[in-house]
Amino acid sequence: MIGSNESLGSWQANRIVRHMAPLLIALSMIVLIAGVTLEDARGLLAEYGILAVMVPTMIAAGGNLGAILSARLSTRLHLGLADLRVRDRTLWANVAAIYALGLTLFVALAVGAYTISRLTGDPAVTLFELLTIALGSGLAIVSIAVVASITATWASYRLGVDPDDVTIPVVTNVVDVLGMLVFVAVSSAVLGF
Amino acid sequence: MSASEEFASIYREALPVLLISLVGGLFSGLVLEIVISQADTFPGLLVAVPVFLATRGNVYGALGGRIASGLHQGLIEPRFQRDERLLNAVLASFTIAISMSIVIATLSWAALALLGWESASLPEFVAILLVAGVLTSVVLILGLLVVIFAGYKRGYDPDNLVGPIVTTLGDVFGMSFLLLATILVEAIG
Repeated sequence: MIGSNESLGSWQANRIVRHMAPLLIALSMIVLIAGVTLEDARGLLAEYGILAVMVPTMIAAGGNLGAILSARLSTRLHLGLADLRVRDRTLWANVAAIYALGLTLFVALAVGAYTISRLTGDPAVTLFELLTIALGSGLAIVSIAVVASITATWASYRLGVDPDDVTIPVVTNVVDVLGMLVFVAVSSAVLGF
Repeated sequence: MSASEEFASIYREALPVLLISLVGGLFSGLVLEIVISQADTFPGLLVAVPVFLATRGNVYGALGGRIASGLHQGLIEPRFQRDERLLNAVLASFTIAISMSIVIATLSWAALALLGWESASLPEFVAILLVAGVLTSVVLILGLLVVIFAGYKRGYDPDNLVGPIVTTLGDVFGMSFLLLATILVEAIG
Protein backbone atom coordinates (compact mmCIF):
# COMPACT_ATOMS: atom_id res chain seq x y z
CA MET A 1 0.00 0.00 0.00
CA ILE A 2 1.25 3.46 -0.88
CA GLY A 3 1.52 6.04 1.87
CA SER A 4 2.13 9.42 0.27
CA ASN A 5 0.64 10.82 -2.89
CA GLU A 6 4.09 11.61 -4.29
CA SER A 7 5.18 8.00 -4.61
CA LEU A 8 2.06 7.30 -6.69
CA GLY A 9 3.69 9.38 -9.42
CA SER A 10 2.09 8.79 -12.77
CA TRP A 11 -0.64 6.65 -11.17
CA GLN A 12 -2.50 9.72 -9.80
CA ALA A 13 -6.04 9.88 -11.18
CA ASN A 14 -6.17 13.64 -11.79
CA ARG A 15 -2.78 13.56 -13.50
CA ILE A 16 -3.86 10.78 -15.85
CA VAL A 17 -7.03 12.73 -16.70
CA ARG A 18 -5.08 15.96 -17.31
CA HIS A 19 -2.60 14.22 -19.62
CA MET A 20 -5.16 12.30 -21.65
CA ALA A 21 -8.11 14.70 -22.04
CA PRO A 22 -6.59 17.22 -24.51
CA LEU A 23 -5.26 14.45 -26.79
CA LEU A 24 -8.60 12.63 -26.74
CA ILE A 25 -10.60 15.77 -27.58
CA ALA A 26 -8.24 16.55 -30.48
CA LEU A 27 -8.48 12.95 -31.77
CA SER A 28 -12.30 13.03 -31.45
CA MET A 29 -12.49 16.05 -33.70
CA ILE A 30 -10.45 14.20 -36.34
CA VAL A 31 -12.45 10.96 -36.09
CA LEU A 32 -15.65 13.02 -36.43
CA ILE A 33 -14.79 13.07 -40.16
CA ALA A 34 -15.29 9.29 -40.19
CA GLY A 35 -18.70 9.77 -38.55
CA VAL A 36 -19.73 12.38 -41.11
CA THR A 37 -18.67 9.95 -43.89
CA LEU A 38 -20.74 7.18 -42.27
CA GLU A 39 -23.81 9.43 -41.97
CA ASP A 40 -23.34 10.62 -45.54
CA ALA A 41 -23.23 6.99 -46.77
CA ARG A 42 -26.45 6.09 -44.92
CA GLY A 43 -28.33 5.61 -48.20
CA LEU A 44 -25.71 3.17 -49.50
CA LEU A 45 -25.58 1.30 -46.18
CA ALA A 46 -29.37 1.10 -45.87
CA GLU A 47 -29.66 -0.29 -49.42
CA TYR A 48 -26.81 -2.79 -48.98
CA GLY A 49 -27.09 -3.79 -45.30
CA ILE A 50 -24.17 -6.22 -45.62
CA LEU A 51 -21.80 -3.25 -46.10
CA ALA A 52 -22.84 -1.95 -42.67
CA VAL A 53 -22.00 -5.40 -41.28
CA MET A 54 -18.48 -5.10 -42.77
CA VAL A 55 -17.69 -1.55 -41.57
CA PRO A 56 -16.55 -2.23 -37.95
CA THR A 57 -14.39 -5.20 -39.02
CA MET A 58 -12.64 -3.30 -41.84
CA ILE A 59 -11.75 -0.45 -39.51
CA ALA A 60 -10.83 -2.68 -36.56
CA ALA A 61 -8.66 -4.98 -38.71
CA GLY A 62 -6.75 -2.00 -40.14
CA GLY A 63 -6.23 -0.60 -36.65
CA ASN A 64 -5.18 -3.98 -35.22
CA LEU A 65 -2.63 -4.62 -37.98
CA GLY A 66 -1.21 -1.10 -37.61
CA ALA A 67 -1.04 -1.56 -33.83
CA ILE A 68 0.85 -4.87 -34.17
CA LEU A 69 3.37 -3.32 -36.57
CA SER A 70 3.83 -0.16 -34.44
CA ALA A 71 4.30 -2.18 -31.26
CA ARG A 72 6.88 -4.43 -32.94
CA LEU A 73 8.76 -1.53 -34.53
CA SER A 74 8.95 0.45 -31.28
CA THR A 75 10.14 -2.60 -29.37
CA ARG A 76 12.89 -3.16 -31.99
CA LEU A 77 13.90 0.49 -31.77
CA HIS A 78 14.00 0.29 -27.96
CA LEU A 79 16.19 -2.79 -28.16
CA GLY A 80 18.46 -1.10 -30.70
CA LEU A 81 17.73 -3.78 -33.28
CA ALA A 82 16.26 -1.58 -35.98
CA ASP A 83 17.05 1.77 -37.52
CA LEU A 84 14.15 1.78 -40.00
CA ARG A 85 16.48 1.74 -43.03
CA VAL A 86 15.40 0.49 -46.43
CA ARG A 87 18.06 -2.23 -46.23
CA ASP A 88 16.69 -3.63 -42.97
CA ARG A 89 15.37 -7.00 -44.17
CA THR A 90 13.55 -7.76 -40.91
CA LEU A 91 11.57 -4.55 -41.34
CA TRP A 92 10.37 -5.82 -44.71
CA ALA A 93 9.58 -9.24 -43.20
CA ASN A 94 7.37 -7.43 -40.66
CA VAL A 95 5.60 -5.43 -43.37
CA ALA A 96 5.12 -8.56 -45.52
CA ALA A 97 3.63 -10.45 -42.56
CA ILE A 98 1.17 -7.59 -41.96
CA TYR A 99 0.05 -7.76 -45.62
CA ALA A 100 -0.25 -11.56 -45.48
CA LEU A 101 -2.40 -11.28 -42.33
CA GLY A 102 -4.51 -8.58 -44.04
CA LEU A 103 -5.01 -10.75 -47.11
CA THR A 104 -6.15 -13.71 -44.98
CA LEU A 105 -8.49 -11.56 -42.87
CA PHE A 106 -10.14 -9.74 -45.75
CA VAL A 107 -10.86 -12.95 -47.66
CA ALA A 108 -12.34 -14.38 -44.42
CA LEU A 109 -14.35 -11.17 -43.97
CA ALA A 110 -15.81 -11.35 -47.50
CA VAL A 111 -16.75 -15.02 -47.05
CA GLY A 112 -18.20 -14.32 -43.57
CA ALA A 113 -20.21 -11.35 -44.83
CA TYR A 114 -21.48 -13.36 -47.81
CA THR A 115 -22.56 -16.21 -45.50
CA ILE A 116 -24.42 -13.73 -43.25
CA SER A 117 -26.15 -12.14 -46.23
CA ARG A 118 -27.28 -15.59 -47.44
CA LEU A 119 -28.46 -16.61 -43.94
CA THR A 120 -30.47 -13.41 -43.54
CA GLY A 121 -31.95 -14.11 -46.98
CA ASP A 122 -30.55 -10.99 -48.60
CA PRO A 123 -28.06 -11.96 -51.35
CA ALA A 124 -28.20 -8.48 -52.88
CA VAL A 125 -24.41 -8.50 -53.35
CA THR A 126 -22.43 -11.33 -54.99
CA LEU A 127 -19.44 -13.07 -53.38
CA PHE A 128 -17.24 -11.66 -56.14
CA GLU A 129 -18.40 -8.10 -55.39
CA LEU A 130 -17.83 -8.62 -51.65
CA LEU A 131 -14.32 -10.03 -52.31
CA THR A 132 -13.50 -7.05 -54.55
CA ILE A 133 -14.76 -4.59 -51.91
CA ALA A 134 -13.04 -6.37 -48.98
CA LEU A 135 -9.68 -6.90 -50.75
CA GLY A 136 -9.68 -3.55 -52.59
CA SER A 137 -10.45 -1.36 -49.61
CA GLY A 138 -8.77 -3.76 -47.16
CA LEU A 139 -5.35 -3.72 -48.83
CA ALA A 140 -5.59 0.08 -49.25
CA ILE A 141 -6.38 0.39 -45.53
CA VAL A 142 -3.44 -1.90 -44.63
CA SER A 143 -1.14 0.26 -46.77
CA ILE A 144 -2.36 3.35 -44.90
CA ALA A 145 -1.78 1.54 -41.58
CA VAL A 146 1.77 0.47 -42.62
CA VAL A 147 2.78 3.98 -43.74
CA ALA A 148 1.20 5.55 -40.62
CA SER A 149 2.93 3.03 -38.31
CA ILE A 150 6.40 3.50 -39.80
CA THR A 151 6.05 7.29 -40.00
CA ALA A 152 4.64 7.66 -36.47
CA THR A 153 7.24 5.34 -34.93
CA TRP A 154 10.12 7.07 -36.73
CA ALA A 155 8.83 10.59 -35.98
CA SER A 156 8.16 9.95 -32.28
CA TYR A 157 11.59 8.35 -31.91
CA ARG A 158 13.25 11.33 -33.63
CA LEU A 159 11.28 13.79 -31.46
CA GLY A 160 12.36 11.94 -28.33
CA VAL A 161 8.84 10.79 -27.42
CA ASP A 162 8.38 7.15 -26.41
CA PRO A 163 6.74 5.56 -29.50
CA ASP A 164 4.82 3.18 -27.16
CA ASP A 165 2.83 6.14 -25.83
CA VAL A 166 1.79 7.77 -29.09
CA THR A 167 1.95 5.49 -32.12
CA ILE A 168 -1.07 3.27 -31.43
CA PRO A 169 -3.63 6.09 -30.88
CA VAL A 170 -2.24 8.00 -33.88
CA VAL A 171 -2.28 4.95 -36.18
CA THR A 172 -5.76 3.73 -35.13
CA ASN A 173 -7.23 7.21 -35.61
CA VAL A 174 -5.63 7.71 -39.03
CA VAL A 175 -7.05 4.29 -40.04
CA ASP A 176 -10.51 5.21 -38.62
CA VAL A 177 -10.77 8.32 -40.77
CA LEU A 178 -9.05 7.30 -44.02
CA GLY A 179 -10.33 3.72 -43.77
CA MET A 180 -13.95 4.88 -43.66
CA LEU A 181 -13.41 7.16 -46.69
CA VAL A 182 -11.68 4.39 -48.66
CA PHE A 183 -14.31 1.77 -47.77
CA VAL A 184 -17.24 4.00 -48.81
CA ALA A 185 -15.46 5.05 -52.04
CA VAL A 186 -14.54 1.47 -53.06
CA SER A 187 -18.02 0.12 -52.18
CA SER A 188 -19.77 2.87 -54.17
CA ALA A 189 -17.46 2.24 -57.16
CA VAL A 190 -17.95 -1.56 -57.13
CA LEU A 191 -21.74 -1.41 -56.67
CA GLY A 192 -22.19 1.60 -58.95
CA PHE A 193 -24.19 3.42 -56.24
CA MET B 1 16.05 -14.83 -36.55
CA SER B 2 16.01 -14.78 -40.34
CA ALA B 3 13.58 -12.64 -42.29
CA SER B 4 11.44 -15.60 -43.32
CA GLU B 5 11.31 -16.98 -39.76
CA GLU B 6 10.31 -13.52 -38.55
CA PHE B 7 7.54 -13.45 -41.18
CA ALA B 8 6.24 -16.91 -40.19
CA SER B 9 6.29 -16.24 -36.46
CA ILE B 10 4.38 -12.94 -36.74
CA TYR B 11 1.76 -14.56 -38.99
CA ARG B 12 1.34 -17.59 -36.72
CA GLU B 13 1.13 -15.61 -33.48
CA ALA B 14 -1.15 -12.82 -34.68
CA LEU B 15 -3.67 -14.77 -36.79
CA PRO B 16 -5.74 -16.47 -34.03
CA VAL B 17 -6.27 -13.21 -32.15
CA LEU B 18 -7.14 -11.34 -35.36
CA LEU B 19 -9.69 -14.01 -36.29
CA ILE B 20 -11.36 -13.67 -32.87
CA SER B 21 -11.48 -9.92 -33.45
CA LEU B 22 -13.00 -10.59 -36.90
CA VAL B 23 -15.88 -12.53 -35.33
CA GLY B 24 -16.42 -9.72 -32.81
CA GLY B 25 -16.32 -7.19 -35.65
CA LEU B 26 -18.94 -9.06 -37.68
CA PHE B 27 -21.21 -9.19 -34.62
CA SER B 28 -20.90 -5.44 -34.03
CA GLY B 29 -21.52 -4.95 -37.76
CA LEU B 30 -24.86 -6.75 -37.42
CA VAL B 31 -25.74 -4.42 -34.52
CA LEU B 32 -24.64 -1.39 -36.60
CA GLU B 33 -27.07 -2.48 -39.31
CA ILE B 34 -29.90 -2.26 -36.74
CA VAL B 35 -28.59 1.09 -35.43
CA ILE B 36 -28.73 2.44 -39.00
CA SER B 37 -32.43 1.60 -39.15
CA GLN B 38 -32.87 3.21 -35.69
CA ALA B 39 -31.27 6.38 -37.05
CA ASP B 40 -34.70 7.48 -38.27
CA THR B 41 -35.69 8.08 -34.64
CA PHE B 42 -32.44 9.89 -33.83
CA PRO B 43 -31.20 11.51 -37.05
CA GLY B 44 -27.47 12.12 -37.24
CA LEU B 45 -26.61 9.50 -34.60
CA LEU B 46 -24.25 7.76 -37.05
CA VAL B 47 -21.88 10.75 -36.86
CA ALA B 48 -21.17 9.83 -33.23
CA VAL B 49 -20.60 6.07 -33.80
CA PRO B 50 -16.93 5.98 -34.98
CA VAL B 51 -15.88 8.64 -32.45
CA PHE B 52 -17.62 6.76 -29.65
CA LEU B 53 -15.95 3.45 -30.56
CA ALA B 54 -12.52 5.07 -31.10
CA THR B 55 -12.66 6.81 -27.72
CA ARG B 56 -13.48 3.53 -25.91
CA GLY B 57 -10.41 2.03 -27.61
CA ASN B 58 -8.15 4.94 -26.69
CA VAL B 59 -9.25 5.25 -23.04
CA TYR B 60 -9.26 1.53 -22.23
CA GLY B 61 -6.25 0.77 -24.41
CA ALA B 62 -4.35 3.26 -22.24
CA LEU B 63 -5.76 1.74 -19.03
CA GLY B 64 -4.80 -1.76 -20.22
CA GLY B 65 -1.31 -0.60 -21.20
CA ARG B 66 -0.89 1.00 -17.79
CA ILE B 67 -2.02 -2.14 -15.94
CA ALA B 68 0.27 -4.30 -18.14
CA SER B 69 3.27 -2.07 -17.35
CA GLY B 70 2.33 -2.05 -13.66
CA LEU B 71 2.30 -5.85 -13.60
CA HIS B 72 5.66 -6.04 -15.44
CA GLN B 73 7.22 -3.58 -12.97
CA GLY B 74 5.70 -5.37 -9.98
CA LEU B 75 3.82 -2.20 -8.97
CA ILE B 76 0.45 -3.96 -8.87
CA GLU B 77 -0.59 -7.51 -8.03
CA PRO B 78 -2.64 -9.62 -10.45
CA ARG B 79 -5.65 -9.97 -8.13
CA PHE B 80 -8.72 -8.02 -7.09
CA GLN B 81 -7.76 -6.15 -3.94
CA ARG B 82 -7.84 -2.60 -2.63
CA ASP B 83 -4.83 -1.07 -4.39
CA GLU B 84 -4.42 2.68 -4.56
CA ARG B 85 -2.65 2.62 -7.96
CA LEU B 86 -5.22 0.38 -9.57
CA LEU B 87 -8.09 2.38 -8.04
CA ASN B 88 -6.58 5.62 -9.38
CA ALA B 89 -6.09 4.24 -12.88
CA VAL B 90 -9.63 2.82 -13.03
CA LEU B 91 -11.15 6.01 -11.61
CA ALA B 92 -9.23 8.15 -14.12
CA SER B 93 -10.31 6.08 -17.12
CA PHE B 94 -13.95 6.08 -15.95
CA THR B 95 -13.91 9.87 -15.45
CA ILE B 96 -12.38 10.43 -18.90
CA ALA B 97 -14.79 8.01 -20.60
CA ILE B 98 -17.87 9.66 -19.08
CA SER B 99 -16.65 13.22 -19.78
CA MET B 100 -15.80 12.20 -23.34
CA SER B 101 -19.35 10.89 -23.82
CA ILE B 102 -20.65 14.43 -23.20
CA VAL B 103 -17.90 15.93 -25.43
CA ILE B 104 -18.69 13.48 -28.28
CA ALA B 105 -22.44 14.15 -28.03
CA THR B 106 -21.83 17.91 -28.21
CA LEU B 107 -19.28 17.69 -31.04
CA SER B 108 -21.53 15.43 -33.15
CA TRP B 109 -24.54 17.66 -32.59
CA ALA B 110 -22.48 20.76 -33.48
CA ALA B 111 -21.06 19.10 -36.63
CA LEU B 112 -24.59 18.28 -37.81
CA ALA B 113 -25.71 21.85 -37.11
CA LEU B 114 -22.70 23.22 -39.06
CA LEU B 115 -23.43 20.93 -42.03
CA GLY B 116 -27.11 21.87 -41.86
CA TRP B 117 -28.07 18.18 -41.68
CA GLU B 118 -31.14 16.86 -39.85
CA SER B 119 -30.30 16.13 -36.23
CA ALA B 120 -31.79 14.83 -32.97
CA SER B 121 -31.71 17.25 -30.00
CA LEU B 122 -28.56 17.82 -27.91
CA PRO B 123 -30.14 16.34 -24.72
CA GLU B 124 -31.06 13.20 -26.72
CA PHE B 125 -27.47 12.82 -27.97
CA VAL B 126 -26.06 13.39 -24.46
CA ALA B 127 -28.49 10.90 -22.88
CA ILE B 128 -27.75 8.16 -25.46
CA LEU B 129 -23.95 8.55 -25.25
CA LEU B 130 -23.95 8.78 -21.43
CA VAL B 131 -26.00 5.58 -21.02
CA ALA B 132 -23.89 3.76 -23.63
CA GLY B 133 -20.66 5.19 -22.15
CA VAL B 134 -21.37 4.15 -18.54
CA LEU B 135 -22.47 0.60 -19.47
CA THR B 136 -19.53 0.03 -21.86
CA SER B 137 -17.05 1.35 -19.26
CA VAL B 138 -18.24 -1.06 -16.58
CA VAL B 139 -17.92 -4.07 -18.92
CA LEU B 140 -14.54 -2.97 -20.31
CA ILE B 141 -12.97 -2.24 -16.91
CA LEU B 142 -14.11 -5.60 -15.49
CA GLY B 143 -13.25 -7.46 -18.71
CA LEU B 144 -9.76 -5.94 -18.87
CA LEU B 145 -8.95 -6.73 -15.23
CA VAL B 146 -10.32 -10.28 -15.34
CA VAL B 147 -8.62 -11.27 -18.62
CA ILE B 148 -5.28 -9.52 -17.94
CA PHE B 149 -4.99 -10.93 -14.41
CA ALA B 150 -6.00 -14.46 -15.47
CA GLY B 151 -3.70 -14.32 -18.54
CA TYR B 152 -0.76 -12.96 -16.52
CA LYS B 153 -1.08 -15.71 -13.92
CA ARG B 154 -1.00 -18.30 -16.74
CA GLY B 155 2.19 -16.78 -18.13
CA TYR B 156 0.82 -14.66 -21.00
CA ASP B 157 2.43 -11.27 -21.65
CA PRO B 158 -0.30 -8.74 -20.68
CA ASP B 159 1.03 -6.37 -23.38
CA ASN B 160 -0.18 -8.79 -26.04
CA LEU B 161 -3.62 -9.22 -24.45
CA VAL B 162 -4.64 -5.56 -24.08
CA GLY B 163 -5.13 -4.68 -27.76
CA PRO B 164 -7.35 -7.62 -28.73
CA ILE B 165 -9.43 -7.39 -25.50
CA VAL B 166 -10.07 -3.69 -25.99
CA THR B 167 -10.95 -3.83 -29.70
CA THR B 168 -13.15 -6.93 -29.42
CA LEU B 169 -14.98 -6.11 -26.16
CA GLY B 170 -15.11 -2.40 -27.07
CA ASP B 171 -16.70 -2.97 -30.48
CA VAL B 172 -19.12 -5.70 -29.39
CA PHE B 173 -20.32 -4.07 -26.16
CA GLY B 174 -19.91 -0.50 -27.43
CA MET B 175 -22.27 -1.13 -30.36
CA SER B 176 -24.70 -3.26 -28.30
CA PHE B 177 -24.98 -0.69 -25.51
CA LEU B 178 -25.32 2.11 -28.06
CA LEU B 179 -28.32 0.28 -29.51
CA LEU B 180 -29.71 -0.40 -26.03
CA ALA B 181 -29.27 3.30 -25.15
CA THR B 182 -31.26 4.43 -28.22
CA ILE B 183 -34.08 2.02 -27.26
CA LEU B 184 -34.06 3.26 -23.62
CA VAL B 185 -33.97 6.95 -24.56
CA GLU B 186 -36.71 6.40 -27.14
CA ALA B 187 -38.88 4.67 -24.51
CA ILE B 188 -38.33 7.40 -21.88
CA GLY B 189 -38.37 10.40 -24.19
